[in-house]
Amino acid sequence: MLVFVGRLLQVQAVDAGAYAAKAEKNRVIRTTLAAERGGITDRNGSELAISVDAYDVTADPSLFTPKHTKVEDAPEQAAALLAPILGGDAATLTKKLKKADSRYALLARRQTPQVWKQIKDLKATLAEKAQKAGTGSVLAGVFQEPSSKRLYPNGDLGAGILGWVNAEGKGGGGIEAMLNEELAGQDGRITYAQSGGRRVPTAGGNEKPAVPGSDIELTIDRDIQWTAQKAIDAQVRKSKADRGYVVVQDTKTGELLALANAPGFDPNDLGKADPSHLGNAALHDAFEPGSTTKLASMAAVLEENAATPGTHVTVPNRLHRGDRLFKDDVDHPTWYLTLTGVLAKSSNIGTILATQQLGKTQAEANKVLHSYLRKFGFGRPTGLGFPGETSGILHKPDDWSTSTQYTVPFGQGFSVNAVQAVSLYSTVANGGVRVEPSLVRGSKGADGKFAPSEKPKQSRVVSEKTAQTLSKMLQAVVDDEGGTGRKAEIDGYRVAGKTGTANRVDPETGRYKGYTSSFAGFAPADKPRIAVYCAVQNPTKGDYFGGQLCAPIYKQVMEFALKTLQVPPTGAKAPGLPVTFDKED
Amino acid sequence: MSRASQPPGGTARARALLGRPAAGDAGRSRLGRLLHLLPGGGRPAARTPFVLLVVLLLGGGLIVLLLLNSSLNEGSFRLSELKRKTTELTDEQQDLQREVDGYSAPDELERRARELGMVPGGNPAFLAPDGMIRGNPGAPAKAPVVPKPVPAKSPAASPKPAASRAPAGSPAPTTTAATTPPPAGARSAPAAQPSASVPPPATPVPTPSTAGR
Repeated sequence: MLVFVGRLLQVQAVDAGAYAAKAEKNRVIRTTLAAERGGITDRNGSELAISVDAYDVTADPSLFTPKHTKVEDAPEQAAALLAPILGGDAATLTKKLKKADSRYALLARRQTPQVWKQIKDLKATLAEKAQKAGTGSVLAGVFQEPSSKRLYPNGDLGAGILGWVNAEGKGGGGIEAMLNEELAGQDGRITYAQSGGRRVPTAGGNEKPAVPGSDIELTIDRDIQWTAQKAIDAQVRKSKADRGYVVVQDTKTGELLALANAPGFDPNDLGKADPSHLGNAALHDAFEPGSTTKLASMAAVLEENAATPGTHVTVPNRLHRGDRLFKDDVDHPTWYLTLTGVLAKSSNIGTILATQQLGKTQAEANKVLHSYLRKFGFGRPTGLGFPGETSGILHKPDDWSTSTQYTVPFGQGFSVNAVQAVSLYSTVANGGVRVEPSLVRGSKGADGKFAPSEKPKQSRVVSEKTAQTLSKMLQAVVDDEGGTGRKAEIDGYRVAGKTGTANRVDPETGRYKGYTSSFAGFAPADKPRIAVYCAVQNPTKGDYFGGQLCAPIYKQVMEFALKTLQVPPTGAKAPGLPVTFDKED
Repeated sequence: MSRASQPPGGTARARALLGRPAAGDAGRSRLGRLLHLLPGGGRPAARTPFVLLVVLLLGGGLIVLLLLNSSLNEGSFRLSELKRKTTELTDEQQDLQREVDGYSAPDELERRARELGMVPGGNPAFLAPDGMIRGNPGAPAKAPVVPKPVPAKSPAASPKPAASRAPAGSPAPTTTAATTPPPAGARSAPAAQPSASVPPPATPVPTPSTAGR
């Protein structure tokens, strides 16, 4: 009796806390409620990235021993059954299931619910059979763990922008990484008492629901993006180039409508992707832009009243400046060009001569040019905040070398990314006001309210008048018989554009090797809506001139964008600025 | 205890009695007698119903608790059943959504558009409300090049799309391959109003030179 009383005392009074805690541990369950990751859509609501339910298929290898299954080759049998469903290799599955000392094996990650249902049905059938036969089921040790899978319904479309989600469910690149916190939401917690796996209704509990991630709406237009991506991909393949980009920007709002890279990757299947193709080359690559930035030089010349579109420029075949002899793309007799003609024929020498007028001395002229380049957004972050984006390289004018100060006016000796390049053209198209590019329109939170992104910053770079003059000069590039951008013509529309064929710095050696072909422009030139920039890096087969490689892409993408955004032509006549002058004048 | 078991009416009556004779010893002694009488008379009669009441209450409570618990359990069974159903339906919805996404992906749309004999529209053109045409619609120049593979492949591959959409377009090209397709492409461009000239943005398909297939 005394013993019982003593024991009772011990259990009820002395160790009561410990036993209560033990009971609590078995009874109370604490789990995290996973927050659903938000989706990413384009500007029209088409889904670009979604999260769906998935299951990790796991197994307990200790349940595959002969003792449990009463069969000798249970792992082999199970693997043979599972391999066709999971789409894996039976041998690897067998190997995983044979580790009898382990109690956990991951058979397949992120399988669709349909796959798990198949396995579940199979399990049930086998269990029934095994019960009748009095043996163990070979699939008794197969389980599932709920998980979630990120899906990109359009495959490689816009993959460079979207990025991907890593194995831990965090954004690993692109928008997924940039806005990971917003997309991920907040996991919730639940605490409840259970009995036999079922929640005890009266025992109370504590639940903090998960806050699902916000849906992000991009400025991208899926269809324009697709056109751009397809066009650049075909061209890069055709001319066996390293890579290429196409950027399409709304000139009024600064919103990027497309940001296409080639070659790309499929974020649904990262294992197969070439690591060098991951990322968004249009923002990650800094390259020397070449002649397309002659527009910035011309803008400076016009805005500073150093010249007018009709100013006569006599362009010799060679020009000695600094320590170098400069030449144009083609050998030519002495050209008698107007300033418009310098742009239309993309003369390096003419541009050097024109920009010299910016200051009394070369150093002064350099400073003025540099200030304009900065204002146009070169050498600065684009404002997108995209992970890993480059600002390009634009040295201070004091650091320009003897030859650099003459190459900067025609786009060599400094580097940019593709979005900076398109922004230059958007600025001119927008009447001289630079609108910072944007990629995210806004987000829709769990409450269903759409919160638009902050309005992009605006700054005036050149006057309205200068911008209009530049637009007219750019039309000569496409319209004029001798212009370099003839292939960009769109019948019925006024098109402004500029070609670029730059010497490319080989990233491996740091020396000039190969070319960067590019084309930039906007349309309709007299009432601009869309700016397009296209560049192809290191084309090794066929032509390498921007007017041949990129102008057709520009035309194709622009045509499609005009149709998609339903921009009618204005029906205006060509401004027809004179390109040449008679020597006798 | 004895006070609590007193029927409430008794005390009230006693109080009322106490109030009536305002003063005087005679009244007080009478009240004392009366008070003495009251509890003595009530006690044996009140006990039985009280015990019965308590038993009834306890029994009733037990039954109600039982009912409550069983209904809660029933609810929890239903809850897990419905949860299972929700998961199933969500899975199905996601599966169907995936299928829809597969069909509406731009690549797939282009492929099917080409199967139907559609070609990229070429130059955009708009019809103004006053009947004026803006833009040059007559130049889907590269279009005739593309349709050639269409008649070659369509009889074998697409008997079904031909019936649904383009019965006029697909049999004809064999005879007038160069002339029939352009009106098909041009028809959609100028005939429509400015707002409708570009149907859904996904359908007019670019890239004329490199055929999708």
